[in-house]
Amino acid sequence: MNGPWDVLVIDDEAVVRDAVQLILGAEGWRVAAVEDAPSALAHEALATCRLVLCDMMLPGQGGLELVREARRRRPDVPIVLITGFATAENATRAIDAGASAFLAKPFDDTELLNQVRSVLERTGDAGKEGRP
Amino acid sequence: MKLRIGVLAILGVAVVTAVAIGLMAGFIVRAHRQALLAQLMQGADQISETIGSSTFYDMLENRRPALHREIVTIGSQKGIELVRLFNGAGRIQFSSIDADSGRMMAKASPACAGCHASEPPLEKLPTSARAHVVRAADGTRVLGMIRPIYNETRCWNAGCHAHRREEAVLGVLDVHLSLAEADRRIAADQRKMILLALLAIAASSLLLWYLNERLVVRPVEELIAGTRKVAAGDLHTTIPATAGHELGDLARAFNDMTRRLGEAQRQLTQADKLASVGRLAAGVAHEINNPLTGVLTYASFLQKRLQDRPEMAQDCEVIVRETKRCRDIVRGLLDFSRQTPPQHQPTDLNEIVRRGVAVVMNQLVLRSVALDFALADRLEPVPADANQIQQVVVNLIMNAADAIGDDGGTIFLATRPVDVPARGSTVIRTARCPKGCDLVDPGTRIGRYPGIRVLRRQEDRDTLVHLDPVYGRCNHRASEPLESGVVASYACPRCRTRLDVPERRCGECGSPVFAVNAGERGRVEWCTRKGCHWTRCEALDAQGPQRFVELSVRDTGKGIAPEDLDHLFEPFFTTKGHRGLGLGLAVTWGIVEGHSGTIDVTSEPGLGARFVVRLPQAAPQAAAQAPPPAGAADADTRGAA
Repeated sequence: MNGPWDVLVIDDEAVVRDAVQLILGAEGWRVAAVEDAPSALAHEALATCRLVLCDMMLPGQGGLELVREARRRRPDVPIVLITGFATAENATRAIDAGASAFLAKPFDDTELLNQVRSVLERTGDAGKEGRP
Repeated sequence: MKLRIGVLAILGVAVVTAVAIGLMAGFIVRAHRQALLAQLMQGADQISETIGSSTFYDMLENRRPALHREIVTIGSQKGIELVRLFNGAGRIQFSSIDADSGRMMAKASPACAGCHASEPPLEKLPTSARAHVVRAADGTRVLGMIRPIYNETRCWNAGCHAHRREEAVLGVLDVHLSLAEADRRIAADQRKMILLALLAIAASSLLLWYLNERLVVRPVEELIAGTRKVAAGDLHTTIPATAGHELGDLARAFNDMTRRLGEAQRQLTQADKLASVGRLAAGVAHEINNPLTGVLTYASFLQKRLQDRPEMAQDCEVIVRETKRCRDIVRGLLDFSRQTPPQHQPTDLNEIVRRGVAVVMNQLVLRSVALDFALADRLEPVPADANQIQQVVVNLIMNAADAIGDDGGTIFLATRPVDVPARGSTVIRTARCPKGCDLVDPGTRIGRYPGIRVLRRQEDRDTLVHLDPVYGRCNHRASEPLESGVVASYACPRCRTRLDVPERRCGECGSPVFAVNAGERGRVEWCTRKGCHWTRCEALDAQGPQRFVELSVRDTGKGIAPEDLDHLFEPFFTTKGHRGLGLGLAVTWGIVEGHSGTIDVTSEPGLGARFVVRLPQAAPQAAAQAPPPAGAADADTRGAA
């Protein structure tokens, strides 16, 4: 699947990338998935997508660093940070780094969709048919 | 230590005793000798007077041979060394020793010096001055007593005309008595005195050694042995504190210190274990959350796609539900060292029990464990976190199944509403002195709850007492045994502010009462008399019995040993060897605590155990919540939320 991309998901776990692609793809969204920060920064979707989903624990450069860089490049795009450590402390660090929302692993399809819709609504980017 | 204190004290006492007894003995011997000498002088004086008067007429009538004979006779008597008579010029006229006769006495000789030391010579002398002590040729001492013979009318009138009228002293009678016998007695007395003094020194040294050994050395040796054991890491050491004196106090203080060190060490170890669990949980959370995300998203996605195949959708729902439970367990483990409050929703306990049973049913069937239900017909919903309480149900059932083992048995599950009075169940978690010092001591637990630390002041003896935090239970613990029936004063152990409430009296025995400030519960009062179990909290008493829903899980397993009952809910305590991590009941307790509920266990070895969980019907009040953990010390109160 090639661009234009709606969503960029960054996670080192293939099953998580696949799951996000499956669920958001079923809603008609075009999802680009990469496994680490350098790939994300090199990916064309970063410049055009309407939503970034980023794992907090990435190999090498951490997720928070990537969020900061993505935020610098795309000040308006909603960024959802995904983490296995759903603590208030991590949530605060994520928001400080520039994330718009926080999604705790493991999540089911409803939780993912609700979170994505809620950040898009907040940023006034809820397109027709619920698409970005 | 032993050598120095003992030997120094004994040496010191021996020297002091020797000096004191020596001085006393010297004084006594000297007085004795003087008395003896005075007595001898008196005897010598009498003898010389007798000689003087019996020879008077021989002298007057100038019967020289008779006089000589008499003097020789008297001089040969026992004890009399010498009798002699010399004239005013000092020539010896008569002597009991023949060789002496005719010799001139020197004026400086002891017999003459008494009068002739001064010029003109004295004519009269007191008795003591007439005596003189000389040493005889054989070395023995001799007492000499002179007696001047004064001129009388008859003397210068006598027909011999030997004496003129002007002469005052015609001659001197000198009697020598042997002091050998007296000296022997004095020497014997001296020997006796020295012997007695040595005996006294030995006796006092012996007594001192015994007292030192018994009162100082033994307790000190026990202290040293105890200190060495503690230094070697044995913090269960206690030393006998039987002595009533300061060393006994020291031993008690030592035991108290060791106990507190042991508790601190246990808490540190526990904190260390918890830190390990935290790291383990973090690792597990990271590793397992990714696959769980896959299972959960795919299963929930599949479930929606199978709306037209209800039986398969139902199976998917089981996958989704149980995966979420896995998620909650992982979060629970993670939160075990990071307390988060439970999410309270009105929850039907019966429903949770059924769900919990459904999860473990297969395992129970495999293990030939039967289930017996006695669920209440209808239970009011309680505010609870359904997932957490389900975890409690599953933990208790699996725990019961483990206790039953492989031979099969029955687990009895029952629920019911129950009204519980505050007395015997409510835990006082906030306790402050009038000045605001925190009296709750997580370092000393009574049952599973931190005790309330107060200072009992009886006369000048202070004792630390930990009050039972369970209202009305009164299993107080004192740092040393207290005499029953004695009334004492109570104070804050930190600021020493008195806790006594003068205007109140015990409802049972009328003794004074003391109180602590229990936050929103107001004041909790206790009787000051040891052994009286009266206590009162007006707020708790006024609130009346509280409605709880109760779950009891009873098994027919091997039961729990009485010594294990107290530790059952501690993290990492397990009786299952390698089969258990020792977290199940700790997590269970944490969850129940987080719901302001209670969990109790009763057991008879061989006859199984019964766990009773009670959850309050009313929404938990802020006051009933445990205060947030302030450090690792109370880490085991942290709930697995």
